[in-house]
Amino acid sequence: MSAVLVAEDLQTYYGKSHILHGVSLTVNEGEIVTLLGRNGAGKTTTLRSLMGLTPPKQGRIQIFGQDVTGWPAYKIARLGVGYVPEGRKIFGHLTVHDNLRVPALTKGRWTLETIYKLFPRLDERRSSKGGQLSGGEQEMLAIARALLLNPRFLILDEPSQGLAPVIVEDVMNTIRTMRDEGIAVLLVEQNAWLALRNADRAYVLGDGSIVHEGPAAELAADEKRVKALAGASLETSAIDAVT
Amino acid sequence: MELLLFNIFNGLIIGMFYALMALGLSLILGLNGIINFSHGAFLALGGYIAYSLTPVIGFWGALIVSPFAVGLIGLLAERVLIRPLYGRDPLFSLLLTFGLAMIMQDLIRTFWGATGLPFTIPDTLSHPLSQVYFFVTGYRVFLVVLSLFATASLFALLRFTRVGVRIRAGNADLETVSALGINIYRLRAINFAVGILFAGLAGVLAAGRLGLTPTMGASLLMPSFVAIIVGGVGSLLGSMLGGIIIGVAAGIVTTYYPAASDVVIYLIMAVVLVVRPRGLLGQEGLLE
Repeated sequence: MSAVLVAEDLQTYYGKSHILHGVSLTVNEGEIVTLLGRNGAGKTTTLRSLMGLTPPKQGRIQIFGQDVTGWPAYKIARLGVGYVPEGRKIFGHLTVHDNLRVPALTKGRWTLETIYKLFPRLDERRSSKGGQLSGGEQEMLAIARALLLNPRFLILDEPSQGLAPVIVEDVMNTIRTMRDEGIAVLLVEQNAWLALRNADRAYVLGDGSIVHEGPAAELAADEKRVKALAGASLETSAIDAVT
Repeated sequence: MELLLFNIFNGLIIGMFYALMALGLSLILGLNGIINFSHGAFLALGGYIAYSLTPVIGFWGALIVSPFAVGLIGLLAERVLIRPLYGRDPLFSLLLTFGLAMIMQDLIRTFWGATGLPFTIPDTLSHPLSQVYFFVTGYRVFLVVLSLFATASLFALLRFTRVGVRIRAGNADLETVSALGINIYRLRAINFAVGILFAGLAGVLAAGRLGLTPTMGASLLMPSFVAIIVGGVGSLLGSMLGGIIIGVAAGIVTTYYPAASDVVIYLIMAVVLVVRPRGLLGQEGLLE
């Protein structure tokens, strides 16, 4: 099993505030890794650092064995890294079809046609403005957009945010399908139980450092620990129980 | 009545120059985030390059080649001068483009002289099309038609090509465009060059109408900014409309009270800012 991502000792700042204090993590081929943590622990910053959107001041990032430290985001994306940003960031004033024409053209199985086959709902709404889509449709559009890069590594920032539980299951199924097709996944989630149920391994961030790492199932079994580390409330676990 | 029509038509022509300028300025403000004070100097350069090319390749050749030549110079300026300033305080690029405008004006003086030059248009275009409406010359009609054609081409480019779609996406969220594998440095360079190309085109057309002076662009620049504000920042169609509206309004006022023809532009801006601060079409995102 070879490593898709190796990040070592990432130190990232927003202006003068020091957000990441030496984050190291690894994602291997064929696995879903989840990154958990309370609000403000640095989850999004970690993903932005990996994508080159908020480059770390210190540390090293290797993707597919290539040193990408200091690379601009577009070069990292072109290596085959799909990024689904927090809040989806779809282009609300563009049509669904135009949203899907933004990503760089790449060779592979994902083309506009195969994407429309995978997401028939997007095909139906082709000429609707991105801003008119429901939350679930927007999430699908954001994932579809990332898939068009034919990625071998998918980074998702809180895909379940603001979605109805049924839709969340759809999204998770899509993510698992991607994993089964050989795409490595790094998943940031606020909803710890949801993430742990779907992931192979888990990291927990606390105040800008990794405070726990291990198999997802092992962490999930230790409810107290999950609550303490990831700030998962009883409410979220109750919602999950219903779905 | 005839005088009014004369002035409205003249206003429409000036309005077309404002509109072409405002389109380029708007494009550059949108994706590059730069208020380009050198836009007028690029306009003048377009006129002067066409002036020097005309004896060699004729008016029609110059009309095509000069805007692209100016666009290429714009590309170079973006690469060397503007690119290092992205993400910095907007004051830097303001100062830089202001300085660049003065340097370019002086270069024009050095190469072509400080006094005005006549720019001859082909005989086929210089005749009036009507005996009564003597001011409707072939050139003026041609100028309006070509401006509209160029604008339509730009809108088609932005709507139908991938580059255009990416420019529109980048206006809203450049970072996400970058994360989707698009070289945003190149995208911004292309966008800047297209904006400058429009200044160059306006320069060639204005040369045939107003003649050539090193400062010809500077006097068109301020009304073009007004056109953007009136039309609505972020709306290309608005910029276009804003240009035509203030051009025609100045023409109408010239008929009755010539001294106020400059002031009326700013009065319109003031009224728009009070009644509808986002401008006429500045309501939704770009190009909606």
